[in-house]
Amino acid sequence: MTQVTTPTPTAGRWRSLFTQEAVVTAVVSIIVAAAVVLPLLVLIVSSFRVLDPSGFGSTWGLDNYRTLYTDRVIPKAFLNTLLISAGSTVLSTFFGVSLAWINARTNCPANDRLEPFNLIPFYLSPFVGAIAWHDLAGGKTGLLNSWARDVFGIHGSVVNVDNIYGVIWVTGLFFAPLVYLFVVGSLRRMDPSLEDSARTTGAGLFRTAMTVTLPLVAPAILSGAIIVFVSTAGEFGVPFKLGAPYGWQTLTTQIFTKAVGDDANIYLGAAMSMALAAITVFLIWIQQRYIAPRSFTTVTGKGFRPNVIDLGRWKWAAFAYNVIFLLVAVVLPILCLFAVSLHPVWQAEIIPSEFTLHNYVRTLFFWAPDHISAATNGIYNSFILAFLGATIAMMLSLVMSYMIHRTKGFGSRLLDFLCVVPIGFPGIVLAMGVLITYIRTPIYATLWIILLAYITRFFPYGQRNVSSVMLAISEDLDQSSRMAGATWLTTLRRITIPLLKPGIFAGWVLLFVIFLRELSISIILYSSGTETLSVGVYYLTNYENETLTAALSMAQTVVLLLCVYIFRRVAGREALTA
Amino acid sequence: MSRSPVMSSSSGTPYLEIRNLVKWFGNDRAVDDVSFSAPKGAFITLLGPSGCGKTTTLMSIAGLHAIDGGEISVGGTIYTAPKKGVFLPPEKRDIGMVFQSYAIWPHMTIAQNVAYPLEIRKVARAEIDARVAEVLELVGLGALADKLATQLSGGQQQRAALARAIISLPRLLLFDEPLSNLDLKLREQMRVEIKRIQNEVGITSIYVTHDQAEALVMSDEIIVMSKGRIEQRGGPREIYSRPVNAYVSNFIGVANLLKGRVAAVTGAGRGEVEIEGNGGAVRLPCLLGPGIAPGSDVVLSVRPESIAASRQNGSGPLLEGEVIQVIFLGNTVDCRVRWGDFEWKVMAHPRAGLKAGEKVYLRLDPARTLAVQP
Repeated sequence: MTQVTTPTPTAGRWRSLFTQEAVVTAVVSIIVAAAVVLPLLVLIVSSFRVLDPSGFGSTWGLDNYRTLYTDRVIPKAFLNTLLISAGSTVLSTFFGVSLAWINARTNCPANDRLEPFNLIPFYLSPFVGAIAWHDLAGGKTGLLNSWARDVFGIHGSVVNVDNIYGVIWVTGLFFAPLVYLFVVGSLRRMDPSLEDSARTTGAGLFRTAMTVTLPLVAPAILSGAIIVFVSTAGEFGVPFKLGAPYGWQTLTTQIFTKAVGDDANIYLGAAMSMALAAITVFLIWIQQRYIAPRSFTTVTGKGFRPNVIDLGRWKWAAFAYNVIFLLVAVVLPILCLFAVSLHPVWQAEIIPSEFTLHNYVRTLFFWAPDHISAATNGIYNSFILAFLGATIAMMLSLVMSYMIHRTKGFGSRLLDFLCVVPIGFPGIVLAMGVLITYIRTPIYATLWIILLAYITRFFPYGQRNVSSVMLAISEDLDQSSRMAGATWLTTLRRITIPLLKPGIFAGWVLLFVIFLRELSISIILYSSGTETLSVGVYYLTNYENETLTAALSMAQTVVLLLCVYIFRRVAGREALTA
Repeated sequence: MSRSPVMSSSSGTPYLEIRNLVKWFGNDRAVDDVSFSAPKGAFITLLGPSGCGKTTTLMSIAGLHAIDGGEISVGGTIYTAPKKGVFLPPEKRDIGMVFQSYAIWPHMTIAQNVAYPLEIRKVARAEIDARVAEVLELVGLGALADKLATQLSGGQQQRAALARAIISLPRLLLFDEPLSNLDLKLREQMRVEIKRIQNEVGITSIYVTHDQAEALVMSDEIIVMSKGRIEQRGGPREIYSRPVNAYVSNFIGVANLLKGRVAAVTGAGRGEVEIEGNGGAVRLPCLLGPGIAPGSDVVLSVRPESIAASRQNGSGPLLEGEVIQVIFLGNTVDCRVRWGDFEWKVMAHPRAGLKAGEKVYLRLDPARTLAVQP
């Protein structure tokens, strides 16, 4: 038996303050708190600085906020943001709920095979989606319009996505999986006897769905809808491609013009960011405070045998609906993108005799003599950022989750709050804060500033993955390791981390995919040499031609799909559905 | 291995010593000035309902949370003493612990689970393997060494947890309601098993439970707790037959409890208590608990088996009542007797021939009728 010597009182006091646990958790919470709070504070303060006309000095004042409603463009941009968000939310909710119901509760043929495909838009870049839809249904250069002209002799544009409706359409399609994920989980967890008992009272299929099923999953639908509204309000790529060039400005496209370029005024940009954040923070607060807690109380958590509703002949209609959604949301745009990428110049028609892979050579091969470095840099940088970012964020998430769920009290509630805050701030808003905060430090114009912003904005997604697993694991498992004589770090290494592996892996993959396609943070913080993949696409669409853009977009899409495919193979069905 | 038999609170050299333990949870005093000690090798049970502070006391000994006052020491080593600024982290305390949830790590086999404490102590591999085999044999899991925790039943997992707790021969063994997740039959079997194994390894053990039967079967000494305080401590027999107050009497076993007043003291620890009921006051001879003064309000505590029920009237103080319920249990009959507003629980002999609705006469055994503090 080992003899434990009694420590002297003072040594004991110091030792009990500086345990492994205390040191690691304190360091991590200070880092995370600083990363989250600092840029937001700086953003708030900067919004009250007014740039003087010379463009060099600044004074205190409320002029920026006055500009928000006296400006020629900004009030309109504000209105457009609200309209686009509302429209996309309606569209996404419609698609998301109907597809979730078909997949989870009906005997629609092959619905277990359709599910992973329904989620595909969630993993792809909406910016690339906008580019694809522009090529497919743009007013002047859209493939569909040129077909209409050739086949039916119709002149002018039959469809046109180069306007606010196009922005709504594309974001609506791309964010539908968000609603789908919220609702499908809730539907699967729902006790089917609740529906059965409604049927036994004589209520028909439709009536049951409307009076029982829908109200039970209402909190999940509402949560999904709010997340879509907030995501759309913070979305930069789609309005940048389909809205801004045609006179439909949004808050995000306006913030962008204030961050960089000739028109730059970071203080006004900060005030506009505050306006955008006011909407998103308020909605996320509502969702977290009132809706999220309810989504579990109405639905019992027991595992039920999923009992499905027999749609009869209508099951083929449901199947057709789902397949058409996939064709429209995924297949058609990607095929169009691919077709465009094969042409030297895009003339709104497919000319097989001109097909070439030269666009891919110029955007992907950095050794090619005529390569475009903004594109080739982007691939390299994005992989570094995605790998480092996901790894560091998951390490922080692990410690954060541990503190939230294993240590009770005020500190843990504060950290829990800290993990929600970044969700309320769109990437472009946080990036504004990060830009202003670190513009005079050496990390400005390096990959580090982008990495910092990525992690700050997205670590909550990883943290939620770890937390959900940690909640299912009894604290006794950790404690019994301590009692067996293992230190806190040994326990973490040998017990806690191995048990949390599924959550850590799922979170890592999700972040990896998100970072690989990230645009709205990168666009504010990049500089020459630190372009990311999406910034590469932005550069090409802005300064080069449509076909080069399509090539890099296609490459990004293939890489993302490949990642998702590989990770699903490794981790199984449940992965990647945060 | 043999141990000294039952010891009362102060006898024997204290090995585990807890002095004036205080633990606050917010504004609640979860543990309120608790002190007790245990000699080496003893099996002590902390007994009480949930929220009485027993688990908090155990966690304080384990070092799984800090305490707000008092001192805990084992074998002369101070484990926790906030005043002296001493807090030994749990891994340095050399304690084995068995949790209610078993806490068998699902990503390891049973053998790996059990080997863990020795691996942490950097014991040589060959010795670990030998010890694991030996301990698994002791708990009866020899054949299941390479199974994963998820492939084992609850009872088997609990045996594995016990094996893991004792393999390093720690200074102290802590049990946190280890049997409450098992079904009744298994629970009864495991009580005896745990006691046997503890006897064999001879490690001083603190056992927390809310199950009084468990406490009576296993313990050398029982500490009954309520609201963060110790109500009574003593051997199982003592706790059962001489509870110091109504709370302990009610918590351990079944008891009839009636309010009364000490009418006379008739000898050392003997007296008469006057109770009201069924249309008048009755004086009953009884034993007086410690600190019971003449004239004071008391509670009369009588076990159902200390009452003789008869259909015939007889001499001496008898209580005349009416049988309202008879439940035949084979070797005994559980009956309820109405006596004024009070309902007596009586364990009668099947041959007494009691029937519901009939008159009955109850005779309370004066040597087992106890006047205790309310």
